[in-house]
Amino acid sequence: MNLTLKIWRQKDKATPGKFETYEAKDISPDMSFLEMLDVVSERAQAQGQEPCAFDHDCREGICGMCSLVINGVPHGPEAATTTCQLHMRKFKDGDNIVIEPWRASAFPVLRDLVVDRTAFDRIQQKGGFVSVNTGGTPDGNAIPVSKLEADLAMDAASCIGCGACVAACKNASAMLFVAAKVSQYAHLPQGQAERSRRVLAMMEQHDVEGFGSCTNFGECEAVCPKEISVRVIAEMNRDYLRATLVGTDP
Amino acid sequence: MEDVSQPSPGISKVVSRMHGSTIGQKALMAVSGVLLIAFSFGHMAGHLQMFVGPEPYNAYAHFLQSLGGIKWAIRFGLVALTILHIFSAFQLTMRNRAARPIAYASNKWLAASIGAKTMRASGGIVLFFILYHILHFTVLLVGTAGFPPEDTYKLANGLMVDDVYRRMVISFQNPALALGYVFGVGLLALHLSHGIQSALQTLGALNSTYRPLVKRVGPALAGLLFAGFASVPLAVLTGCIK
Repeated sequence: MNLTLKIWRQKDKATPGKFETYEAKDISPDMSFLEMLDVVSERAQAQGQEPCAFDHDCREGICGMCSLVINGVPHGPEAATTTCQLHMRKFKDGDNIVIEPWRASAFPVLRDLVVDRTAFDRIQQKGGFVSVNTGGTPDGNAIPVSKLEADLAMDAASCIGCGACVAACKNASAMLFVAAKVSQYAHLPQGQAERSRRVLAMMEQHDVEGFGSCTNFGECEAVCPKEISVRVIAEMNRDYLRATLVGTDP
Repeated sequence: MEDVSQPSPGISKVVSRMHGSTIGQKALMAVSGVLLIAFSFGHMAGHLQMFVGPEPYNAYAHFLQSLGGIKWAIRFGLVALTILHIFSAFQLTMRNRAARPIAYASNKWLAASIGAKTMRASGGIVLFFILYHILHFTVLLVGTAGFPPEDTYKLANGLMVDDVYRRMVISFQNPALALGYVFGVGLLALHLSHGIQSALQTLGALNSTYRPLVKRVGPALAGLLFAGFASVPLAVLTGCIK
């Protein structure tokens, strides 16, 4: 299949970028989207052009490294799928495809389609963990956790931190990411000791990083490759307001 | 983890977190919105007495006017809630614009409702509609053409009161005014179709059990409010209320 790509090119953080058009000819429908970009980059390189930079790592949909806003949708047109797992058969021969980086002031573009997502790391470092003194490994089932609560925690914990929620949000809010990281502990006994401190500290960092506020559009939930529900945002709001108004950990 | 909450937050910390954080500001917007919605329902229920006749409606209007201090307390409360609602919206909007300095060249909505996408526009127009409404029926400054100079009504107990019923009828017999009011409350309903569920989500009231229900309750309540408010001007316009 033959495609026309409009790709965002930007030399570095300080230089303003612009779109450039590429003709992608003889693309196999069985290629993944990233493989298609590999081919286009290789051909450009062979002609002495600078290849296009984009993030990728595991290429099996679990690491959270790949990104790209494809025709206005983070991770492209297929639901619950990362860009690396998106295949070219989802497109039609002759399609025009616009490829942009995640757009957020908290995610500055480093080069072309690569953005700096270390803001997520800084939020995590503020409270996305449980403090446990080292010692012997506890027995597997010493602390009972109901199946329902375990499932809710696991659903939240499936967040891979790719940032598609930020990219899709009209306010570039990272509420779905932060809420997933808060919710995964809120449903487990181990998370209770630092429950209030965690939500306050992580949200404080969210705001410091310059992410926007949640307008409850639900776009984040629609593009999340791990299908994390905005339920976690409601839970986090409740925890945040309780922590603010009452304010003590048990 | 930094110890930010022990042993007690203190009032100043509560205030700074509520008005200085995104969730806090959203919560202030949600609470002020919910209280304004509660007033709107009371206001709408009061107006439905137009269907009963001039006697109960004018008696009700007179009762509200006779509340004195309570009336002014409610008025100031409503103004304060409106200012809080708009102020938090303004602050959040400024923040949200800064969060996405470069727009997408291509942008596709997957989930957002029409009510959600038009919140700022509907809210802005509703504000002007409310200001007109107050100048019209409360201050009697605009849209008063045709109001009789002698606009008192004699209640069954002999009390002479303002004939608010007559003013409503005269106003809404003018198609431009009647349709303008229907348009205004229509935009209010559009605003609330997203606003109600958004407020509940912001206040953390939605868990997985109630979320599907509440997603429908928001538009349903907004529709109910629209039907109640719009019925009065439409009934006058079509001659059902004279």
